[in-house]
Amino acid sequence: MKNILEVTDLCKTYIINKRQNNVLRNVSFTIREGEMVAIMGPSGSGKSTLLYTVSGMDKMTAGSVRFCGRDISEMNENALSKMRLDDMGFIFQQMYMMKNLSVLDNIILPAVKSDKIKESRKDTMERGQELMRKLGIIEIAANDINEVSGGQLQRACICRSMINKPQMIFADEPTGALNRTSSEEVMDELTKLNSEGTAIMLVTHDAKVAAKCSRVLFIVDGNIKCEYNINRALPLRDRERELNNWLLEMGW
Amino acid sequence: MYLRILKKDLKRKKTMNTILLLFVILATMFAASSVNNIITVMGGLDNYFRKANMSDHFIISTNGNSDEISKQLSEKPNIKEFRREDQLFFNDTALTQNGKKVAELGNNLMLLSIDNAQLNYFDENNEIIKDVPEGKAYFTGALVVNTDIGIGDEFQLKIGDTVLTLQYAGIGKDAFLGSVMMNNPRLIVSDADYEKFLSDAKARENNSGSIFYINGYDKKTLESDLSDIQGTLFNKGINIIKTSYLMNTLIAGILLIVSICLILVSFVVLSFTISFTVNEEFREIGVMKALGLKNSSVRALYLVKYLGISLIGAVIGYALSVPFGNMLLDSVSDNIVLESDNSVIIGILCSITAVLIIILFCWHCTAKIKKLSPIDAVRSGQTGERFKKKGILDLGRSKLCTTGFMAFNDVLSSPKQFGIMTSVFTVCLLLIMCLANSANTLASEKLLALMCSIKSDAYMTDSDMRSQIMSGGMGYSEMCSYIEDTLAENGMPCKVHAEALLYPTIETSKGKKASPIFNYDRETKASEYTYSEGYAPKYKNEIALTYTIADKLEVGIGDKVNLTINGKTDEYIISALFQSMMQLGESGRFHESMDIPDELIAQTMGFQIDFDDSPDKDEAERRIEKIKDIFGTEFVFDADGFVMQCIGSDVSDMIDSVKLLVLLITVAIIIMISVLMERSFISKEKSEIALMKAMGFRSGSIIAQHTLRFFIVSVIASALSIALCLPFTKLCIDPIFGIMGAVSGVEYNFRFAEVCVLYPIIVISATILGAFLTAQYMKTVKASDTADID
Repeated sequence: MKNILEVTDLCKTYIINKRQNNVLRNVSFTIREGEMVAIMGPSGSGKSTLLYTVSGMDKMTAGSVRFCGRDISEMNENALSKMRLDDMGFIFQQMYMMKNLSVLDNIILPAVKSDKIKESRKDTMERGQELMRKLGIIEIAANDINEVSGGQLQRACICRSMINKPQMIFADEPTGALNRTSSEEVMDELTKLNSEGTAIMLVTHDAKVAAKCSRVLFIVDGNIKCEYNINRALPLRDRERELNNWLLEMGW
Repeated sequence: MYLRILKKDLKRKKTMNTILLLFVILATMFAASSVNNIITVMGGLDNYFRKANMSDHFIISTNGNSDEISKQLSEKPNIKEFRREDQLFFNDTALTQNGKKVAELGNNLMLLSIDNAQLNYFDENNEIIKDVPEGKAYFTGALVVNTDIGIGDEFQLKIGDTVLTLQYAGIGKDAFLGSVMMNNPRLIVSDADYEKFLSDAKARENNSGSIFYINGYDKKTLESDLSDIQGTLFNKGINIIKTSYLMNTLIAGILLIVSICLILVSFVVLSFTISFTVNEEFREIGVMKALGLKNSSVRALYLVKYLGISLIGAVIGYALSVPFGNMLLDSVSDNIVLESDNSVIIGILCSITAVLIIILFCWHCTAKIKKLSPIDAVRSGQTGERFKKKGILDLGRSKLCTTGFMAFNDVLSSPKQFGIMTSVFTVCLLLIMCLANSANTLASEKLLALMCSIKSDAYMTDSDMRSQIMSGGMGYSEMCSYIEDTLAENGMPCKVHAEALLYPTIETSKGKKASPIFNYDRETKASEYTYSEGYAPKYKNEIALTYTIADKLEVGIGDKVNLTINGKTDEYIISALFQSMMQLGESGRFHESMDIPDELIAQTMGFQIDFDDSPDKDEAERRIEKIKDIFGTEFVFDADGFVMQCIGSDVSDMIDSVKLLVLLITVAIIIMISVLMERSFISKEKSEIALMKAMGFRSGSIIAQHTLRFFIVSVIASALSIALCLPFTKLCIDPIFGIMGAVSGVEYNFRFAEVCVLYPIIVISATILGAFLTAQYMKTVKASDTADID
């Protein structure tokens, strides 16, 4: 498997009240094609910053990030936007959507904007409906975003992240705002996506969620302290137990 | 605790609070200055006349019979007192600077000694002119506007055989003759200088005249009682003088409309902003309610905050209202004294009212607090209760690109928000269009009929030629023949005729009297003019009267009236009624076959030239320039120019300057509203902007979407304004033309390119500019902000 994301000596520094705050310090790791990696760590350790920096949404202070072989530190804003639109998908903890659009329109919006997939508007719509059908939310296609539940909305966000057939999905605590049932449903969908070949990098606090990934990177004070490979052949409960033990060792 | 929450709120929501503060400043500034201006303008003329010590009635005599008039006035029982102000009359050729005329003027000028002044004349700073140093002179009326002479410059005045070099001392404001329509400029000099001219026998004999300022016991019958005084150039009551300021009133009226619109615009935008900010605070309100605060406590918190902002805004707005109001007032008070005695009190009252209105708005808007529940805070307001169905268009079915789709969908999804902006832009555009239509009409041949004239190729209104007729130097027919012959010799064969003006006394069978102006052109059939009712006079003994004079005399079509011309009284039948702006609607028309000898025709409107070969417009323009050279005068016009000359060329300039001022104010307001609105939208839609960026939308694309929303709004506003432009103009301006005599309204000169293309383009450009530049701010919103948004 090729590396889809290569992060080398990544640093991110914020200046707050004239004080330098090193959020990320020389972070290095790789993610291979089709891999599902969880980023875990205590609050304020730099998990979300890492996700936003490696996805080109935030600027790095030093180091290099190569996504699909391209160095994103050398890309301008427009190139970064195009990369995010065509090759990346995003899922956030809060189910952000455009308020003036229906659920289906929200899902197909990136596809209509992108010229990656040459197809008619009708075909895009059908593809969006197909994705919704797959995730079991086709009945809410015409609804406004305020008319659906959080779980349904997060699945709609997954549809949106998938619409441009990205190389990789970045998820920032995708189940953080969901109840247990919805959370499991969303993770099942992400696992399914991953099994179909899409690489996923997700930030989570939840060991149950992380247990569904193939690898866990544990970040403390802006640095990857350790990483843990999960044996996906084991039953989920065992994976979760082993992961919890490891996290305890890490001082979680 | 409250204070701490407030302090935090003011700090954290700096942008929205600043925007709100700016709107409060705008609203207070407009309200205070506009209300002050409205009060000043409404009572302005009466105040000015009171300060100037104007009388009930005025008589001007020029032909040396002032003593006789004085005697007659002394014998009239209805006269309480009268004041006589002697003058020397002269025309514009007498006033020169280095051999050239100081100004080209269509009317006679007067020389007045300040010691003999029977009115109060005011200087530029609205102070009464009490003394004029020897060798200096103040200019009044049209002379001020039509000369390039500067204060301290020297010029020569020749009356009779006496020539004096005088120095221009500054502007003088003349309540009686200073209006654009009266338009008789005066030179106010020292008694010593005046006496130098008066000691010249030639000047004394040929140029002497007097103005009588008369006050009566019974003001209602005064005009009728004085109508039998013969040999006067002017014999009218104060109402006609008031009406002669109609052009100022028109400008002031426009100012009122502008002021009312500004107040409306500012408060509509303000109410929107308050409602907008309260809606945006649902989360805080929800949290406070979740913590157990009562509705009234939460409401009080916001009311205190808005009270604080509105108080600061009102103080700043009041301070700014003073120069802003003066700037607007200056545009109408070139020739009148417009001062508000209570401007400070009015300003403070308006500012307090603005604060109260703002608090009322807040009270109304914060009523929504009851509806906001703790759930709003927990679920970011997306409870399914807070939002109504918004999306109207379907992206899947739309043929628009994403930017266009998003912009259209946003506008259609928030009709209230964008509707208010559309209304504001529409009002602003309508204001400019209304002014443009008025200015264009006042300088167009559309008013020719209202000037009791018909269309000719050229019009000459040179004061020298007209004064030759007045002084008897050349008769009416002789002057027409002279012009015809001169033009024929220069290869321009033509017919020349003129509207002769007569001032007969008219009396009804009920004894009602008036002295309207009568038009008569022996070369033009009475049937060629326009009448509103009845038929054109067919016989010598038939006349047409304007509605204004018919109403005054309480007569109608078919009634008989007696007209006295040069002491001879005849009976006439009223055959038609029409509308006219001649002498502010007090006029009539004779049949062309009326036998009026040349010596009775003392005044003409202008010599109308009809070329034999009926040239096209361009050729006629060339010939007009040629005629100017032949006769050495600037006063040769086409029909548009003639109408402008009749109304007063200053009027069009005044309206143009007000139009420009309003255009600048409007553009500034539109840019300001666009900037503040767009800034509010960015603040409100920060999460969506960040999300779009995270999804891969470029900043340029989102900026284009936001700018396009303003473009859509301004285009809708332009379309609405174009549709409403003429009805709005008629609604606002017809009553003003009505006072001038056009009681049935006028046909407006609608210049499509200016009104429907130029102004909408200006407004659309200003909107786009404001929105586009402000939208650049969204570059500071990063894709990663998606994680930080509440």
